[in-house]
Amino acid sequence: MPHTETHHERPTLVQLRDVHLSFGSNKVLKGVDLNVRQGDAVSIIGPSGSGKSTILRCINGLLAPERGEIVVGNTPVHALKTEADRIALRKRIGFVFQQYNLFPHLSVLENIVIAPTRILGTDRQTAEREARELLARVRLSDKADAYPGQLSGGQQQRVAIARALAMHPELVLFDEVTSALDPETVGEVLAVIRELVQDGLTCILVTHEMRFAEEVSHEIVFTEGGEIVEHGTPQTIFHAPRNPRTHGFINALRN
Amino acid sequence: MATENNTLILKAPWVFPTVSPVALWLVALVAAWAVLGQLYADSIRLLLLWVPHLAKGLQMNILTSVLAIGIGTVLGLLVGALELSQARWINTPARWYVQVFRNAPLLVLIFFTTYVFPFEIKIGSIYLPFPDWIKATIGLALPASAHIAEILRGAVQSIPTPQWEASASLAFSRSQTLRWIILPQCVKRVLPPWMNLYAMITMSTTLASLVGVTELLESAKNASNTVNRTDFTILVYLAILTLFFAYCYPITRLTRRLEKKFSFH
Amino acid sequence: MIESLLNAFIAAAKIIGLNYSFLLSAYERGPWLEGIGITIGLALLSIVSSLLVGIVVASLLTSGKPWLANPTRAFVELTRNTPTLVQLYCAFFVLNMLINQAVGGAQNNPLSAFAWVVIVLSLHYGAIHAEALRAGIEAVPKVTRESALSLGFSRSESLRYVELPLAMRFALPSLVNNLVNLVKSTALGSAIAVGEVTYASLMIWTQRDNVLELMIFIFLVYGILTLLVARAGSWLETHLRMPGYGH
Ligand SMILES: Nc1ncnc2c1ncn2[C@@H]1O[C@H](COP(=O)(O)OP(=O)(O)O)[C@@H](O)[C@H]1O
Ligand SMILES: [Mg+2]
Repeated sequence: MPHTETHHERPTLVQLRDVHLSFGSNKVLKGVDLNVRQGDAVSIIGPSGSGKSTILRCINGLLAPERGEIVVGNTPVHALKTEADRIALRKRIGFVFQQYNLFPHLSVLENIVIAPTRILGTDRQTAEREARELLARVRLSDKADAYPGQLSGGQQQRVAIARALAMHPELVLFDEVTSALDPETVGEVLAVIRELVQDGLTCILVTHEMRFAEEVSHEIVFTEGGEIVEHGTPQTIFHAPRNPRTHGFINALRN
Repeated sequence: MATENNTLILKAPWVFPTVSPVALWLVALVAAWAVLGQLYADSIRLLLLWVPHLAKGLQMNILTSVLAIGIGTVLGLLVGALELSQARWINTPARWYVQVFRNAPLLVLIFFTTYVFPFEIKIGSIYLPFPDWIKATIGLALPASAHIAEILRGAVQSIPTPQWEASASLAFSRSQTLRWIILPQCVKRVLPPWMNLYAMITMSTTLASLVGVTELLESAKNASNTVNRTDFTILVYLAILTLFFAYCYPITRLTRRLEKKFSFH
Repeated sequence: MIESLLNAFIAAAKIIGLNYSFLLSAYERGPWLEGIGITIGLALLSIVSSLLVGIVVASLLTSGKPWLANPTRAFVELTRNTPTLVQLYCAFFVLNMLINQAVGGAQNNPLSAFAWVVIVLSLHYGAIHAEALRAGIEAVPKVTRESALSLGFSRSESLRYVELPLAMRFALPSLVNNLVNLVKSTALGSAIAVGEVTYASLMIWTQRDNVLELMIFIFLVYGILTLLVARAGSWLETHLRMPGYGH
């Protein structure tokens, strides 16, 4: 258990209150509340189509909710009007996708360096040094000059994590980052994320890896049908869920 | 409101309303001509006098285009089949044929067939005339056949290898696989580019005017030179532009529709 | 030295029945060689300006503003569905005539037949390039833009650093194909008496009966030019290759 004494004293970094969103007539989020403290790892679990990715996309401003509040740090995300404000927000939030989404025309090093140099204005030398440190951290030092198309899924995903970290984000959102991977490469990606959590990075993880979620998370959130059905410690959610729907979902996965 | 907001954020800047349908174009063209009719009522009447002459020209364009695609298709399928042969002494000349006729300018090919071919052919003791418009048609059909051979080859190669492997494991020979399994799947892939080619050929029939074939463009030029009035010249060329557009655009639209439809299967 | 080589060539050609004696007459050789130069000039100018037109038209098409995109689309459809020769005539016999009348005579009109060929080919092939570029942009997966935005890129930065470089790679084969066709289309210049190689040859074979001989040369000229364009294209393709993606 990564719980520490100070867990409850840490300030809140992300707060969603009564967030509603629909695509046309399809109500996807129906009043979502969520609290993430600084340094927490919160895992969102739930059936496919329940709105997990949509929650993450709302947090970094790729989608705008129609009702409710989203606050990251001191930024009221729901009230951001201009593209420039959203860009400022996204510089502080990393996003790692299920399909890696590396830029196929750039080498691994360039993939990591492009955002800091172009967006943050970091000088090339510093950016490259940091990129190499990050590559070492995700154990891909020898792949700096390779192209994404030459890497395995697990390797690409670790590059994607390094690319997100290169922006020094306060918060990283992981959207089912192991779902597209071969079983044997899932472990290498989870190991990297585990280290990040242990180093105190604030993360929100959408995942189907229940054992991993139980092991690293401070809190588990169970979503279904656009609502948060239940949230609590991994201990509660996985071993003593109060809500029968949570119980059903967890049991179905176990068997 | 939120939906609007969301589409606003997610909307890629290149998403634009789907292409205006044929009907919209028709309305626009008719409207444009109605306006022209008001502006140049006098020369429109003149233009109407020339309609029979222009129609005869248009007949020639349609005749040459249909003949050229017909000859081109037969010849092209033959060359394509040779190209697909695994014997090098068969597929190499076929490939050369395709390269030469695809890379030569059409106009030059039409000059070639017109000026190099004889003006009459002797069969036994009979002399058959070999008119320029047939020579020009051949000049259009040769590159068309090269394109069709390429279309066929591309379609066959786009069928995934497992289809070949599955057929081979059922003890089909190469030509049996080609005939019974691969080619039937190719028809869908070949149809849109074939129609596209027909539209291209139709537009290229105007090149025949440069070797003295009296087709639409040549008729228009005659009319413009005979009448020799600025407003009439403007009108007659706009009319030609409109006619070609009205003939080719529906074909292009249909092609795109088929492409889309087939790409989902 | 050159003269003797020329004589040797003409003698050799004579053996297989080809008559290249026009090469000995400076009066005929001069315009013919100049014709090759004009063809190359037409091709180079039109390649560059058609690409510029293509970029402009593609960005208008993808601007997302209907009042920009729709008229541009109409232009593209009109251009693609009418014969290039008719467009050339509309330009040269209609627009050029109107300009002549407006400026008070052909002698005051700065636009030559050569210029009109470049203009018409650039607009025509620009529209076709634009379609290729648009298809290339649309082939870039939407998630690529999302991941760029998530890294803090603005839309225009995402377009410039990520989407356009990818779109260029997707569009390149079509663009090269278009440019090969453009080079071939320069022969249309002969329709309005621009003295490029086809027209220059036409002038010679109407005086002498040596169509086949000149045809061989013409095929060679266009063959070499289109080969050069295709080579440049495949050089770019290997240069911009994304390892592991088969492009
Ligand atoms: N861009 C979109 N346009 C329309 N509907 C969408 C869009 N994205 C997601 N949805 C719909 O929203 C619902 C929730 O999707 P999502 O958040 O991706 O679920 P999850 O990540 O939990 O599987 C689904 O019904 C999905 O079809
Ligand atoms: Mg999802």
